[in-house]
Amino acid sequence: MNEKTSAFFRYLAYVIEIILAFILGSAPKLMPELFGAKPCLLLCVCITISIFEREIPSMIFGLVCGLLIDLGYSYGVGMFTVALTLLCFVIGYAANNLIRATFPYFILCSAAVTIAVFMLYFLVNFVWQGYQDAFVYFKAHLISRIVQTIVFSVGFYFLNRFIYRTLSEEA
Amino acid sequence: MKEFFKSAKVKALLSILLVLVMLAVLTSNTENNFLSSVVNTLTFSMSKVTAASADDGRDGLSDQELLEEYKRLKEENADLRAQLVDYYAVKSENERLWKFYDLKKEHPDFELIPASVLRKDPNDEFYSFTLDKGSSSGVKTADPVVSETGLIGWVSECDTNTCKVVTILSPRTGIGAADSKSGDVGVVTGSSTLASDNLTMFSKLKANHKVEIGDIITTTGISGLYPKGLIIGEVTDLGYDTYDTSHYAVIKPYENLKKLTSVAVIIGFSGQGEVLLQNQKD
Repeated sequence: MNEKTSAFFRYLAYVIEIILAFILGSAPKLMPELFGAKPCLLLCVCITISIFEREIPSMIFGLVCGLLIDLGYSYGVGMFTVALTLLCFVIGYAANNLIRATFPYFILCSAAVTIAVFMLYFLVNFVWQGYQDAFVYFKAHLISRIVQTIVFSVGFYFLNRFIYRTLSEEA
Repeated sequence: MKEFFKSAKVKALLSILLVLVMLAVLTSNTENNFLSSVVNTLTFSMSKVTAASADDGRDGLSDQELLEEYKRLKEENADLRAQLVDYYAVKSENERLWKFYDLKKEHPDFELIPASVLRKDPNDEFYSFTLDKGSSSGVKTADPVVSETGLIGWVSECDTNTCKVVTILSPRTGIGAADSKSGDVGVVTGSSTLASDNLTMFSKLKANHKVEIGDIITTTGISGLYPKGLIIGEVTDLGYDTYDTSHYAVIKPYENLKKLTSVAVIIGFSGQGEVLLQNQKD
């Protein structure tokens, strides 16, 4: 299988994965709420894709996931689109030039990006909006959402690692 | 390092980021942008299928009751097979409409559009959701959204096929309301501390208010955004907010807003858009 063919099938697998993550995350009653929150599956998907792919594909998948998070729920291009486009580009560059795509590095990366994105979300949608009970929401929902997203990203890491190893040129 | 920042990849990233920021500014200020219409149109069918499949249909029945009902329905189904081809579609729509029959009987001026919950925003802690009706069905921004037990939210955004509903648990909500027993007026708005318990707040009460636990809170209809007399919920607690030094009551809606699957949008009612004058409030 040459590089272009293998890349095509990998990207197709990623697209299916993104669609499934979108459906699982947004369908009512499908995923249970634990400790007041659900994980952001699209965030897990784009981070794990970026660990294995180069900068431009990572950026594009980050853009798509961010768009789905923003447009699917709030009708405007927003914070997630811009943040994930930039962060996935950075992860893609780092994974190919600075660090190795191993599990310990992935966990660090996933935790850092998840915390950064949700803290930005909290700042933009709660602190700057002036909600007086912003930190109550932080304790009741956001901490749980961050932890669950990091935990779920582990599963997506192994899935995408399997996809990459099976459908890359080396295979 | 300099070569990295001058590389084509970084230039591509910066170009895309610039376009995204411009789109973010553009789409944040328009009610009905084509980008969200495209995404929601593409995901509409998918979301309908998953929303329907996620409904287990038990409706709180036990296994024995379900088995008996299954046997009864199987016999009835055999009789109904001879019916017209579109019978099941009409029956399904009829069941949804019957839930709002009493509401329509009490308010004959309401124009109700039944709608199903298409998806829920997992990032929103005030349980906002998206419905499967949009501007093509007559839904507009700021239309009230009700269940068979009372007001549950308002349409915040709307495109051709879908609309997003903000619930009464959200701090973005501000509804002029009154105690149906004492007549005290205030504003119903959400709170981060109460939302997870399916509670909301009846705030800005006067110091000498006569609101009591068990009172029913309804809309005043003064602003013209909500019909008058729509039930919001029942008072379960009273309190004093030291942050803005005002009295408030905690309200429990009659509906569990976390588990909604079908609602109705009021797209028209008598007095919509008309601000009530002082002498018309009574």
